[in-house]
Amino acid sequence: MNNDMTFLRRRLLLRSAGLLGAASLGGTGLLAEAATTVVLPFENGERELQAFPQKRPMIVLTSRPPQLETPFPVFNESILTPNDAFFVRYHWSGVPTSIDPDKFRLKVGGNVATPLELSLADIKQLATPVDLVAVNQCSGNSRGHFQPRANGGQLSNGAMGNARWTGIPLKKLLEKAGVSAGSQQVSFNGLDQPPTGNGPDFIKALDIDHAMDGEVMLAWAMNGADLPMLNGYPLRLVVPGYYGTYWIKHLSDIQVLTKPFDGFWMTTAYRIPDNACACVEPGKPVTKSIPINRFNVRSFITSVVDGAQIRHGRATTVRGIAFDGGYGISEVEFSADDGQTWQAARLGENLGRYSFREWTANFKPTKKGPSVLKVRAVNRIGQSQPTEALWNPAGYMRNAVESTRVEII
Amino acid sequence: MKIKFVFLNAVAIASLLALPSWALDINLPEETAAYRASTLPGYQLVQQNCLVCHSAHYPQMQPGSSPRSYWEATVKKMKKPFGAQFADEDIPAMVDYLVKTYGAEKSAAAAQK
Repeated sequence: MNNDMTFLRRRLLLRSAGLLGAASLGGTGLLAEAATTVVLPFENGERELQAFPQKRPMIVLTSRPPQLETPFPVFNESILTPNDAFFVRYHWSGVPTSIDPDKFRLKVGGNVATPLELSLADIKQLATPVDLVAVNQCSGNSRGHFQPRANGGQLSNGAMGNARWTGIPLKKLLEKAGVSAGSQQVSFNGLDQPPTGNGPDFIKALDIDHAMDGEVMLAWAMNGADLPMLNGYPLRLVVPGYYGTYWIKHLSDIQVLTKPFDGFWMTTAYRIPDNACACVEPGKPVTKSIPINRFNVRSFITSVVDGAQIRHGRATTVRGIAFDGGYGISEVEFSADDGQTWQAARLGENLGRYSFREWTANFKPTKKGPSVLKVRAVNRIGQSQPTEALWNPAGYMRNAVESTRVEII
Repeated sequence: MKIKFVFLNAVAIASLLALPSWALDINLPEETAAYRASTLPGYQLVQQNCLVCHSAHYPQMQPGSSPRSYWEATVKKMKKPFGAQFADEDIPAMVDYLVKTYGAEKSAAAAQK
């Protein structure tokens, strides 16, 4: 975090990546080489940039299965994250690469009056389509910034994205099937599969009341276009305010259950300490855990990157994003002096309580030299962000107040 | 030729009326990551046992401080519950290669050479 050369190199590399994109096929070998890597700001943070199908060059966490992180400058392009830059996360390498939407079927079974097997066309006609802007964020977004380090996917801050999802409420589908008495949970499975026969299939579950809340969606489009394959074509679950682990891609099987689902991905993986901070003392094990659930509050500066130079004595506008688990952002504060003093930021257009909320703040740098910019947000129920990062062994839910180091010249 | 042409047109019109949708096919790019070559016996084993399921990125990206206990737990997790098909006898050599190539015993391994 303190190596300015690393930041500078990262900026230069990202710039040359942009140049390569503009130059398209005409890029020279040298330029192409320069554009294929990026250095994330933590130890062992060197990554390839590669364009996967339907995607622009993205940060490759793993290529098989594809796990792609959004380059952070994308978040300054627009409040809605473009589909071709939206992060990708899979658990198993049995990833579908060819899906015929006419042959695709979604099964609904278990504790229901009428088991269903629906085509995509059936689903689209089941209810009036709804649009919802919502953030999807990986549980392990920003894991690479944990201190002490936490093993797992070593992500920087780009495993998140904000999209306008189009689909129908899950409730309508479950009402059509008819949820029988005694139902406790609903499980969700997609077409992705473990590469070996007996690995635990990636299946997640929600409590029945949550599944029936009218907000959880079956979505076939994001930002007005079909879902890209790597984001779950042709249908995915959207669980507003909840971590991406529940947003099952290529959704093909829904089961209504009379007891809590006991699969690996609910009972062993994706669990957080069962306390208010979802944290433990660094290095200590978790004694009692619960399934990860709702996002905590986060905010980022997007218009200024680490290592940027800002002119002394000139009015400067800084911009960024804030979001939470669905209560809605009520307040954002900006500091231009490493958190010594804070000023209220202006909130931008409200696209709904599950969306990124844009904010802007003005300041005039008065002192030359290195400076640290910070941002922190508060939601409608008063939750905010810790100054010092909280820790848990799985590296989930980082939401510390982030710092952007700049040089005032 | 003429008959065929007319036939194709009829097919094209019929398809338009039926509003067909086409399958979405993607081709994932060639893999670029590889396990770092080593004379340690575990190098051959990870190529046999790990690449079956995932790219070499998984160990590559872990913090360089990752201790032997992490690599051992992870290799065992790949077998159970994740279902990897390698023999228990392979585990110590794989762990040894991983911790000396990507983990906390990297510098010790380099110093031995």
